Amino acid sequence: MAVKEELTGIVSPENVSENPETLGAYSRDLSFAKPIQPKAAVRPHNVDEVQALVAWANKTATPLVPVSSGPPRFHGDTIPGVPGAVIVDMSGMKNIMKIDRRNRVAIIEAGVTYPELQPELTRAGMRLTMPLIPRANKSIVASLLEREPTLIPRQQWTILDPLRCTEIVWGEGNVLRTGDAGNWPSMEFAFERKQSAVGSGGPAQTDFYRFVSAAQGSMGIVTWISVKCEVLPEPHKLYFVAADRLENLIDFTYKVLRFRFGDELLILNNTKLACIIGENPDQIKALMGKIPSWVALVGIAGRSILPQERVEFQEKDIADMAQSSGLQMTATIPGGQNGKVLDLILNVSREPYWKLTYRGGYQDILFITTLNRTPEFVKTMNSVANASGYPVNDIGVYLQPLHQGASCHCEFVLPYDRDNLEEAARMQQLFTRASQAMVEQGAFFSRPYGIWAKMAYERDTQTTRVLKKLKGIFDPNNIMNPGKLCF
Amino acid sequence: MVLKREIYKEFENIVGANNISDDEALLDSYRYPLMHTAIHLGPYYRVYTPRGEAVLLPGSAEEVQAIVKLCNKHKVRVKASSTFWSAWGYPMEDNTIQLDMRRMNRILEIDEKNMFAVVEPHVIGATLQAEAMKHGLNTHIHGPGASCSCLASATALNGLGPDTAYLGHHSENMIGAEWVMPDGEMVRVGSVGSGLGWFYSEGPGPSLKGLIRGMVGSMGSMGVFTKCAIKLHPWPGPAPFPTDGRPPAYKAVLPDNLMSYTLGFPDWEAWADSCYLIWEAGIGYVAHRQFNMFGRDLKGAMVRILSDPTKTLGDIVELLKDPEVQKMTEDMKRDYQIVLAGMTPRDIEWQEKVLDRILEKTGGWKVEGMLEPNLHDWSLLYMLRLGHKNLNLVYGGGYDGCFGIGGTPDFATTGEYPRVEQATDFKKEWEKKGNIVAAGGDGMMGGIGGMGGGGMTLWENFTHFDPHDKASTEGTYEFFNATSEYGKQKGWGPGMEKMNDYARWTDGRTTPKEIRNKILSAGGQPEALRYQRKFYETFNPNDLGDSYYRTLD
Repeated sequence: MAVKEELTGIVSPENVSENPETLGAYSRDLSFAKPIQPKAAVRPHNVDEVQALVAWANKTATPLVPVSSGPPRFHGDTIPGVPGAVIVDMSGMKNIMKIDRRNRVAIIEAGVTYPELQPELTRAGMRLTMPLIPRANKSIVASLLEREPTLIPRQQWTILDPLRCTEIVWGEGNVLRTGDAGNWPSMEFAFERKQSAVGSGGPAQTDFYRFVSAAQGSMGIVTWISVKCEVLPEPHKLYFVAADRLENLIDFTYKVLRFRFGDELLILNNTKLACIIGENPDQIKALMGKIPSWVALVGIAGRSILPQERVEFQEKDIADMAQSSGLQMTATIPGGQNGKVLDLILNVSREPYWKLTYRGGYQDILFITTLNRTPEFVKTMNSVANASGYPVNDIGVYLQPLHQGASCHCEFVLPYDRDNLEEAARMQQLFTRASQAMVEQGAFFSRPYGIWAKMAYERDTQTTRVLKKLKGIFDPNNIMNPGKLCF
Repeated sequence: MVLKREIYKEFENIVGANNISDDEALLDSYRYPLMHTAIHLGPYYRVYTPRGEAVLLPGSAEEVQAIVKLCNKHKVRVKASSTFWSAWGYPMEDNTIQLDMRRMNRILEIDEKNMFAVVEPHVIGATLQAEAMKHGLNTHIHGPGASCSCLASATALNGLGPDTAYLGHHSENMIGAEWVMPDGEMVRVGSVGSGLGWFYSEGPGPSLKGLIRGMVGSMGSMGVFTKCAIKLHPWPGPAPFPTDGRPPAYKAVLPDNLMSYTLGFPDWEAWADSCYLIWEAGIGYVAHRQFNMFGRDLKGAMVRILSDPTKTLGDIVELLKDPEVQKMTEDMKRDYQIVLAGMTPRDIEWQEKVLDRILEKTGGWKVEGMLEPNLHDWSLLYMLRLGHKNLNLVYGGGYDGCFGIGGTPDFATTGEYPRVEQATDFKKEWEKKGNIVAAGGDGMMGGIGGMGGGGMTLWENFTHFDPHDKASTEGTYEFFNATSEYGKQKGWGPGMEKMNDYARWTDGRTTPKEIRNKILSAGGQPEALRYQRKFYETFNPNDLGDSYYRTLD
């Protein structure tokens, strides 16, 4: 039986594609991953269809590659690692299943994006903390499963926050609900008893949801999640603390983290901030020359009770902290007023995706370290760029404190013209060299995409051993996105 | 003695002769009496956990690994415990060696900037707290109190506590672990596995933290944890922590940015509303219904006794007649304690205003009697340090919690006849039989948080009894059978009083398989336990653990 015929027995015919153009779009992304054409793409619309697809894949030894977000994609994780794969495109699962204002929880399916959820939350007086300016078609489930950093470190009680509960179809075909959602026969049963999907632990003695985090779809397929929301902030202000030396800003940032003050808290270099504010390459170039070398963005929000008073006292206290670090907290920076920048960082990207505006393409190198170590990595990145003839001033830097300050996401963005083959070849060399240099310096590639996987797992052979055993339990036939990570 | 001499010798070669014993008198001191505080088991009158074959005191992770490898070689079960909280830390069966982790008691690192500590198994909450405070930091003290191991709580058990909403649950705070797995292999979980330090718990890729623990950990059934990193939190008070007075009436002497209140509410819905509001506002450093463990009718008198070194339990009858005590007790009927901690003067001023506004909105009040300076300072120390766990046993020498209604605040408190009142009335009837302390039916203690930032409340109905009195102990067991049935009838789910029935049975040994399977199959998702069976078979191939790890075939 032809593949299409078999798949149309599982999902409706319009949700199966063998169109070469459609499949071609799934075969490549903007990373250096080798393009591999899948043999089909399907769009399931409920958990039963997903489970049936997984059962079929096990029976036919067909690799499945889950994809939830729309293009462009950047890290190679959704490009099939082997020929003959079927793409499971989850973007059709769009239900917002529940918004629970009292417990500040929303339950959403895998295809729901930020622009789809946020207005619904706003109506309920809430919002969801986001990563830094995601693209409009980015799946929330994919973003949180891939541990993309969010902007408010003080609200991160675990690295996976605000992700709480999940429903997972494992590679071997079973369905499991995790966290509080695993405690009841169904969520309806829970809601009738005024319970909610707020806690992430379990079920039992295992945090199953951690096995699908940063797994690049290699363990199973997540059909829905619950997320912990924040009360809609009002008022909500943004301030800038600028410095010529990163070290000074780090000192200030640690002070804010130590008191768990502020809301959004991140550090950008002038290039990165210019790319956020500027709408075209010329504007970006001009802004890069005006914006100070390093800028901390500090959001201060009021919520619920005495919100104005919270904002007012924190404005004063955080300004004092800046002053004690020899810095100033301001409402404007060259090219940007606080309201405008706040609006930019709290929303999804304009089109085209903001990181592409400056040169039409980019590669990023992202890893985890601690905030105090970030200057060493900046120095190394600049040194490798210099040695490769890449303009250091074009490197965008984004430092995001995580987990209330225990760790820090460090991201270098390297814009380039991807249509220029010579430049693209040079970029590939730089990307490889810089990645290697970062690993040698002690970068922790928590989300090891592409060439980083080998680097990361060679450093931690024991984790690799255990992960392979877990993979054998959840996906014994290795049908889930084979060829990724250490699998 | 079952261990063959040559096997004993092999163990001795690892830890040294001074750190191993199979002396029967000593081994009996490593048995646990299941007639009291077995959390949540029994009580079984004059029943003890089985005697181990030997007890070893390892001094390093390398020694632990060598021991576990030897256990695999000789098929000897191994049970490690650090501070031996309850029956969880003790063997289930013969042919088990016990590891007492007390020699591994170092705080290896406090990273002040990035706010975490790296600890060995026998570092207790009080020690870590005292050291952290020198750096302007604090650690979460979990429910069993400041004398218990931080690592055990974070890796192997639960990790809930009164300060969870601000200082996190230990499952959240654990950001890395060194684990001698039951097959004898060592794995370091998180960034430390790559040799890069202890700052990050997940990855690379999928997180092995998920294998270490979920709602709870494996309770000593899946190898031995030898180090872990614990996330620390801001502490806006002095170091060392200044105290005054004579235990147990000692108290904190802290500046005005640290305030303790007991809040009272006109009804349970107002009580629940206040929980949601303090979480939304983000105020409060500790929030817990603590003193209610002494009972709704007795708590006013008890806090007077415990905060006054001249008073004893014998004064309770007179105190209960005191109109001031009676008023305070009535004011505290639907209560919880909250500690506010201002990071700056402006912060504490704002938090105080927010709390007043919440009380206005809910019709609640600050219990006046608890504002008396001596009581305030006593309460502040109690809540911040959680160093009074002995008081759990104050009435009769034994206690255990029942019902354990848990979840959102609304679950326990809404409706015309809220679940919390149903549980109260049920217990009150049983108190009349005379086998458990008559404390007013409601001895429900529990956290106002459940997880970082808040989200759930727990209602553990403290039941006090005399474990050395057969009638009291057996009457308590009968009561717990009744609470369990009542909870089932009401659809509240399994009560915490029977939480460990699946593992350990009335003789102190492994629960018979048929009964165990029946209990475990009745849970939310048996599939999860089938996966755990696979984990057990994969990582514990020689079956060196015990039935605290929940598995189904």
